[in-house]
Amino acid sequence: MFLWAWKSLFSQRSTLVGSSLGIAGAFILVLFFDAVFRGESEQIVAYPAHMNPDVWVMQAGVGNMHMASSYIWDWKMDVIAAMPEVERVTPILYFANIIEARGSKLFAFVVGLQSGEHRAGPWEMSAGRRIAGKGEAVIPAVLSRITGIGIGDTMRITDHDFRVVGLSRGTYSSANPVIFVTLDDLADILSAEGTYSYLLVDAKEGVSPKQLAEGIRRTVEKVNVLTTAELVANDFGLAMQMGVEIIFMMTMICSALAALIVGFSAYSLVARKQRELAIVKALGGRRGALVGSVVLQAVIVALLGYLLAVVFALLVIPQVPLLVPQLSLVVSIGDILQMGLVALLVAVIGAVIPASLVLRLDPALAYQV
Amino acid sequence: MTEPVLRASHLTRIYGSGRTAVRAVDDVSLTIPPGELVMIMGPSGSGKTTLLSMLGGLLRPTSGEVVINGTVITELDEDRLPVVRALEIGFIFQSFNLLDALTVEENILFPARLRKGGVSAARPRAEELMSRLGLTHRRRALPRTLSGGEKQRVAIARALINEPKLILADEPTGNLDSRTGQEVLMILHDIARDEGRAVVLVTHDPRVEDMADRVLWLEDGHLRDRSEAHHWARDPVCGMKVDEWTATLISEHEGQRYFFCSPRCKARFDAAPDDWTGG
Repeated sequence: MFLWAWKSLFSQRSTLVGSSLGIAGAFILVLFFDAVFRGESEQIVAYPAHMNPDVWVMQAGVGNMHMASSYIWDWKMDVIAAMPEVERVTPILYFANIIEARGSKLFAFVVGLQSGEHRAGPWEMSAGRRIAGKGEAVIPAVLSRITGIGIGDTMRITDHDFRVVGLSRGTYSSANPVIFVTLDDLADILSAEGTYSYLLVDAKEGVSPKQLAEGIRRTVEKVNVLTTAELVANDFGLAMQMGVEIIFMMTMICSALAALIVGFSAYSLVARKQRELAIVKALGGRRGALVGSVVLQAVIVALLGYLLAVVFALLVIPQVPLLVPQLSLVVSIGDILQMGLVALLVAVIGAVIPASLVLRLDPALAYQV
Repeated sequence: MTEPVLRASHLTRIYGSGRTAVRAVDDVSLTIPPGELVMIMGPSGSGKTTLLSMLGGLLRPTSGEVVINGTVITELDEDRLPVVRALEIGFIFQSFNLLDALTVEENILFPARLRKGGVSAARPRAEELMSRLGLTHRRRALPRTLSGGEKQRVAIARALINEPKLILADEPTGNLDSRTGQEVLMILHDIARDEGRAVVLVTHDPRVEDMADRVLWLEDGHLRDRSEAHHWARDPVCGMKVDEWTATLISEHEGQRYFFCSPRCKARFDAAPDDWTGG
């Protein structure tokens, strides 16, 4: 029976290919949007993940960096730096705001670094200087391509103009490109002299991040201390949360679309093969086996669509950022596997109506000429 | 006494209800022993296919019962009927009804999965049938590449794969040329004679009349035996002999039925019946 179902399906190649491509299209949409959100979310945490100090110290009540404001007094840095467990403390000032470049207004994270500071600055350069001086800025290379401003050009942060001196790599996401300026310039913009936003604290050898965090909490009041992993997890979760509803909606819509395509193709297969199904019934085909055949055909169509979508996701999606550099796309194996389960579910749902048609089919149809 | 392969008792099938009810088959009883080839004839719409569908367990009668090899199939539910259809009955259809995607061999073996030992146990039987019906060299061919005669031979082999005691054939020569039709009829004849299977043949093919053990006439849902001589009547207009049972052009005048050879004769009669009846 299943041999017949299999051969019967593959004998109608145009239906099979058309349906599989339609399903693949729906699944590709889901995987693509998922890759966009996952890529963006990973880019959003690119800065804290690359800095990777043992712990981050921030204002009490603040638990993340993305879209957050944090201010701590500069003397608290001195207290922490004096602790025996501490190897090094690097302060940064940080704020998120609109920047203006050649008429384009973009949202960006601006990080202020102490003069000559390498520890908290860009980790890979495309061109120019890594360290900005007074009135200078290092911007993401992708931002330079999008806006057209290059080294030597001027951009504006609030009411301050900055000359671009370096183009960094890996610091761009559409939600928060990271721009580096001096700490003094940013303090001037924010009128925040005597304060820092975050302290990047590295522990001495033999001291674990957890021990260091506990030590700082005991020593300094009104600060929050998180390991890099905790801060990254918080920001990543926040970013994904912002997209999760859209991803869920997209998944539901595209899955419903895929189920409709599976259902339609299974239905058209059954409708077109009504007489043959009646013959199978007349020749002793059991109802369970017939329903099984319809479900098998639906599963094959859905899985073929799924496989096409996976091949596309693995081969094509990673190439998209080469053409569209502002897009950060990450294809997750977990999401692909999850999509496989969705494909199976879609096949079963899509097979319900055709299966009921098969159950009601009159075997006496076999006698019709 | 030999047990009949098929026994149908008071079989009735009514379509519709109330004033629109049509009795497609009306109180038909029929018994067929092993080895008998029975031909069922009748005009279009007489209920032949309905009767055959009920005999094969494809259609439930409104009343009456069908017994095949001692099993009352009209009492079986939809879960048990498929086994009877696959193992006890061989179906042969006018339009062959082969499964397009399967090869000749796969089509022949298709009903075998319900028999003991399944498809693998049926392979020797399939080999034997293909050899006997001249299909061995076409075993890998798809139905679309076969001639009409080959298709019907595949259908016959498929009907015989599970060695059923009853073969139900609906117009098996209807889509074949006369030579191929003759060939198929001879195969069916041999199946009844040599293998002792009961064969029910619904056909318009007059050649079957000579080889059938019994000829039954179905009209208006009723079945009549016409194994004796023809019931000849004379066309009152042209004087030609007309078989009362097969005639479809009939008029009634003063309580008497008149049979005609052609619409022309009937029209002339209907215009002035007294001119032709001496009234």
